[in-house]
Amino acid sequence: MKQENALGKAQSGYNSCRSGSKAAGTARMERGRQVYTVSRDGGMAMDRRLKLVVVGNGMAGVRCVEEILKLAPYLYDITIIGKEPHPNYNRIMLSKVLQGDTSIADITINSLRWYEEQGITLYIDETVERIETSRAVVQTNKGRSIPYDRLIIATGSNPFMLPLPGADKAGVTAFRSIEDCERMMESAKHNKRAVVIGGGLLGLEAARGLLNLGMEVKVVHIYNYLMERQLDLTASEMLRKELESQGMQFIMGKQTERILGRKRVEGVQFSDGTRLTADLVVFAVGIRPNVKLAADSGIEVNRGIVVNDRMETSAPRVYAVGECAEHRGMVYGLAAPLYEQGKVLAKVLCDVETEGYGGSTLYSQLKVSGVDVFSVGEIMESDSAETIKMYNGLARTYLKIIIRNERIAGAVMFGDISDSSKLLHAIKQGAGLSVLDDIGRQSGESVEVSKGERYKAVMMMAEKEIVCSCNGVSKGVIVQAICDKKLGGVDEVQACTRASSSCGGCKPLVQTILDYVLESGGAVELKKESLCGCTTLSHEELREAMQGIDADGLINDDVMKEQLGWLNKDGCEVCEAALKFYTALWRGKHELIEEQFQLTVHTRHPIRNSIQMGKHLEKALSGLVFPAELSLGVAAGLFYSAGMLTKDVSLIGTPSGWELYAGGSDGGFGQLGLMQVRQAQLICTEEDDAAALELALALLLSYRSDADYGETVAEWLERVGTIALRERIFTLDNRERLLSALNASLLSQAGVRQYPLFPEEVTL
Amino acid sequence: MEGVKFDGAAERLVMKTQCPFCSVQCKMQVIEERPKNGPPSYTVVPTPNVASEGRLCVKGINAYQHALMGDRMLYPMKKLDGQLVRITWSEAYAWMAERFGKLQQCYGMDSIGVYGGGSLTNETAYLLGKMARLSLGTKYIDYNGRFCMSAAASAGNKAFGIDRGLTNPLSDIQLAKCIILAGTNIAECQPTLMPYFLRAKENGAMIIVIDPRETATAELADIHLKVKPGMDASLVNGLLKIVLEEGHTDMRFLKERTRGFEEVRAHVEPMSLLEIAEITGVEEAEIRRAAIAFGRADTGMVFTARGVEQHSDGYMSVRNYINLLLVTGKIGREGCGYGAVTGQANGQGGREHGQKADQLPGYRMIDNEEHRAYIADVWGVDPEQLPGKGVSAYEMMEKIHEQEIRALFLMGSNPIVSNPNANFVQEGLEKLDFLVVCDMYISETARMADLLLPVSSYIENEGTLTNLEGRVLLREGNRPLPGEVKHDWKILCELSAALGKAEQFPFQSAEGIFEELRIASKSGIADYYGITYDRLRREEGVYWPCPSIDEPGSVRLFEERFAHPDGRAELAAVANHFPKEQPDEQYPLYLTTGRVLSHYLSGVQTRRSPALAARNIESFVELHPRTAMKYGIKEGVLVQLETRRGQVVVRSRFSYAIRLDTLFMPMHWGDLQSVNKLTHQALDPTCRMPAFKVCAVRIVPLSHKTYSRISRGCP
Repeated sequence: MKQENALGKAQSGYNSCRSGSKAAGTARMERGRQVYTVSRDGGMAMDRRLKLVVVGNGMAGVRCVEEILKLAPYLYDITIIGKEPHPNYNRIMLSKVLQGDTSIADITINSLRWYEEQGITLYIDETVERIETSRAVVQTNKGRSIPYDRLIIATGSNPFMLPLPGADKAGVTAFRSIEDCERMMESAKHNKRAVVIGGGLLGLEAARGLLNLGMEVKVVHIYNYLMERQLDLTASEMLRKELESQGMQFIMGKQTERILGRKRVEGVQFSDGTRLTADLVVFAVGIRPNVKLAADSGIEVNRGIVVNDRMETSAPRVYAVGECAEHRGMVYGLAAPLYEQGKVLAKVLCDVETEGYGGSTLYSQLKVSGVDVFSVGEIMESDSAETIKMYNGLARTYLKIIIRNERIAGAVMFGDISDSSKLLHAIKQGAGLSVLDDIGRQSGESVEVSKGERYKAVMMMAEKEIVCSCNGVSKGVIVQAICDKKLGGVDEVQACTRASSSCGGCKPLVQTILDYVLESGGAVELKKESLCGCTTLSHEELREAMQGIDADGLINDDVMKEQLGWLNKDGCEVCEAALKFYTALWRGKHELIEEQFQLTVHTRHPIRNSIQMGKHLEKALSGLVFPAELSLGVAAGLFYSAGMLTKDVSLIGTPSGWELYAGGSDGGFGQLGLMQVRQAQLICTEEDDAAALELALALLLSYRSDADYGETVAEWLERVGTIALRERIFTLDNRERLLSALNASLLSQAGVRQYPLFPEEVTL
Repeated sequence: MEGVKFDGAAERLVMKTQCPFCSVQCKMQVIEERPKNGPPSYTVVPTPNVASEGRLCVKGINAYQHALMGDRMLYPMKKLDGQLVRITWSEAYAWMAERFGKLQQCYGMDSIGVYGGGSLTNETAYLLGKMARLSLGTKYIDYNGRFCMSAAASAGNKAFGIDRGLTNPLSDIQLAKCIILAGTNIAECQPTLMPYFLRAKENGAMIIVIDPRETATAELADIHLKVKPGMDASLVNGLLKIVLEEGHTDMRFLKERTRGFEEVRAHVEPMSLLEIAEITGVEEAEIRRAAIAFGRADTGMVFTARGVEQHSDGYMSVRNYINLLLVTGKIGREGCGYGAVTGQANGQGGREHGQKADQLPGYRMIDNEEHRAYIADVWGVDPEQLPGKGVSAYEMMEKIHEQEIRALFLMGSNPIVSNPNANFVQEGLEKLDFLVVCDMYISETARMADLLLPVSSYIENEGTLTNLEGRVLLREGNRPLPGEVKHDWKILCELSAALGKAEQFPFQSAEGIFEELRIASKSGIADYYGITYDRLRREEGVYWPCPSIDEPGSVRLFEERFAHPDGRAELAAVANHFPKEQPDEQYPLYLTTGRVLSHYLSGVQTRRSPALAARNIESFVELHPRTAMKYGIKEGVLVQLETRRGQVVVRSRFSYAIRLDTLFMPMHWGDLQSVNKLTHQALDPTCRMPAFKVCAVRIVPLSHKTYSRISRGCP
């Protein structure tokens, strides 16, 4: 554990990373593009910027540089030296280039201009030949001498070219660089037959590419089944069948012995004497970490350049990252672990606290012309482990899970890999069998359907529905945040909205919502519907505008329409009525409007006094306008409360007090047509008579001033949300304000309490 | 200055505080803005802190509501002819002095009882004990924490020699490879602690949850043992047996650092796993799985809470869980330890400084000569003046019923709702000659009071609290007091002055009280001497015991030795034990109780918080649909639950996740929804913890006849 002192983290990171003689007890300070040293007594001394040199312009090294720029943009003067004559490009996408799906220009990750903008000195088509660790200088093949304060070796891998006789002939290539790719594409223009040696990931991708280019492709593999490192026999055979149906041909179990031909390749010969004709031979038998430079410079290498958890090599201030690095005996060839390494190294180089790199869970995912394959961890069955297998020959899907000691130890998937991230996560967590409940539904389902089911559930969720109960975050808030702030991950959603930041139980749901929103391209913009064709204003805007109009006395509707910018001065049935209502509501003066509510009172089997409650309600509400006609009910007891639960608002006497219900509907004919019968929702139970009356009135008054004209209580309740409404009327301040709209003497007659309940007094 | 109002100008007040609810004590800032025209608005900003790492749960986020927006009492009130009438503070003190004096004259010093709470600050808890013993001279003082921590506290004391809720820092949790969560619903009761367990899971930990219900916490579990209510002790015997059989005992640890293993071995070895499976309702294979997982893990921790502890054998059940830890050597190092998940804000501190019947400050014992002498010296009195041992909280209610206690001074609790056998308790309180209630609101108990005294809320009341880790925290309280509200400790000082003890209660600030508390707790087991407000401000909390200012406080306990004189931990053989009240023909189901996420304790505060009340508006009974079918219960309707002690009316809720033989009700509501009208008052013989978690109940649809009986005031 790091010791914390008065200067905090700066102390320990500082001392380990600084060269030269900086005193203990100083801290680094950045100002502009300079780096200063600040000592305890406040004195400052200006450093020059530290020099960071990166050998290699590939994905891992440059990604690491990107992370450094994020953490400390002014800390280093950066120089990158790359062997290939290109700016940093995505090597993984080469298969796509070969397959014709994308162009070379498109796979560039960082253009030359990027390096300029970031102030990075870039030397391409130049190779570092030697590192002089004692002098802290690198020497290139163009005679350049570049000093460094920190050095990152990111020399990647070299494709393994089998040392076969004839491998140096024209027409023999690896499949690693842009040059290789261009060579293959050129060859396909003039030649017919291609042989790919190596039936692993890379070989199959090359084969697919060459097929697309119109060549006849045979894949030669030394083992009896394809991708033997990632797949088991079943999945491998399924893959082979699929690829064969696409035109690939396979020659299994053959070892290549020599390349035939004079100056150009004409074919290959196997160890059993058989031959194949070929105009193009692609070696895809593996890669080897490029450690020559490190080895020549006296840095410890094994299979790769040996690094510790902080990506440090055996030489001081020299680091390694990417395919050339060996960490705890592992050399990685997949992007994700390399990016993880890059992130850690960036933190190390920027003095940011990190736990270090602990290794990565290896997994592979392959998509070859519509075929999805996924593999992680342990894939071979054994006596000491248990297996779950699901095979569907019709849908051509296959799933196998290896379980060891009650934990998921590995999996192979073919055809439907929709659960791959879940399994990967489970393996990383060391999770047990409980995660399997969700996995491997009908393996006949295609990827689209199963995802669709999850998304359907999200679509059906109401905007107000609470996703994170610990923090009270609704679906609407999450969706809004994702769209407004362009969030990309669950942790971003968490930081923004606080969802899943407490107990974490809702994380899967938040993830699904995120996936859904990202995939559907953002939430559907809820267009504010305008009142009618006569105006662009929506109900809410009209209400607000009404409240804002500054005029006394009766304003007739025409003047009102004028002031509000009505498009059609004559109005129509809809807006005439609405205007009348809103005017009455906000301007207080209106023609006499008939009783806007119907009150039904039941008195049988009484627990409470419904007659009194009904009287108070009636008195309080008389003379008030409402957005729609209301049906109200009060029942004295539970056992004769027929019809109460289909009223707009009702009160029912129960042993614990009055139950207040809202949002029922008896299926009458509403503004928009025949309405559905619907049961009211329980809003709350209140023991005290006066308080119950208050709550009912507060609810009705809130509806009155908040709902759109014509909107029923049920529709309004759905829009507002039950919890939000409860919060509104439970808040005493709100209740007080809402009730102030009513006749005060009437209220006190009804026994409604005076607010505040305990009047304060200033004492001196 | 008291009674200051905001003036008409726009104002902004930033209040640094911590949550008044559970024992995690998450830190936060509440920002109050009062615009010129319009209601005040509030923003809550979580603050980074070691325990909750800057998280807040839904209760914490809305905690300000009840304090700042609720119907708080603002002045003292007295009940006159059934009405509440406002009086002045001096009238209140005079009346109390008079009534207490008269009653003690007639019935003796012990006729006054004092009842405190686990949410009171250390300062107030300390003064409450001092007031009871010095100013009132009564032996009868106890508090609601008896229902919270007494079982775990006794077990910790006996097994380890010391009772500190968590023996390890929270950061150890992610290092544990197997974690047992027994009777603790952390996901709903301490939600901000969940990420620790999630982290442990990500590190490959196996989580074992032991609970009759599938709570939100159980969703985390790799193994969920759905034990019959009340059968934990027996279940652990099964676990111990397997651990022994499979050879997962840490013999070296047992030999070097414990005693009593042989008895435990002799006790569990001959047990039949089949029989244990039968009586606990958990399958043999499952018990085996859990035991092996725990025994085999390199590191492991056990957490218990009320589910295990609130039983008539709560003390012994906890001891058996501790046995499990000792047998496998999983304590006193990284990733290994025991946690009694304290519930209340100051459940830990509150049980250390003398508001307990048998206790003096610093976790000293009132019947120990040396301890009495020391405290008497600190307080400047003769040891003989200190009363003797009182009785536990529920037993006080019995004394009240018998009218041995004739007056009660209540501060920070709602006993009518929180005590078991609530109808009985209510009857008793009705018999009191004089009931004084100090509270923020007119709670269910306060309704019955003769005298109501309004106290400050957490956001106004500065003081220290000790969270579940055993870390003492300073809670600042800088909001001006509303109305005529006083700080609880101030009331105790002024009352003591009215009783003639002004000299021993000269305190003008919470810090002043803490200074005396330091001395009073010095060299006690709960030693706070090395802690000062300064340190607390600088260091964001200090672990106890902390004997001196220069020491950092003990973060992890038992690394070298346990707290008994011989440095060893003690194991104890625990018998298979059945609940005192078992289902029978008349009452065929188990009833168990617990909590919901958005409410806290008896709901006095959270039911007054609009956001929290909106999420759970009423109580309910949870039952399995098949059980419902058997007893003719529909979903979502009001039903009646009855036990030998009382009945309640609540709404039914179906769940497939509960045992077929068990019903569940939360505890946060009073009156007709008060689950404690049903619960059993059987007490654990060692710690006096009531058996809240299990009794026999029947469920019937709400009948015509019943509700007619309970109908009120109709024409």
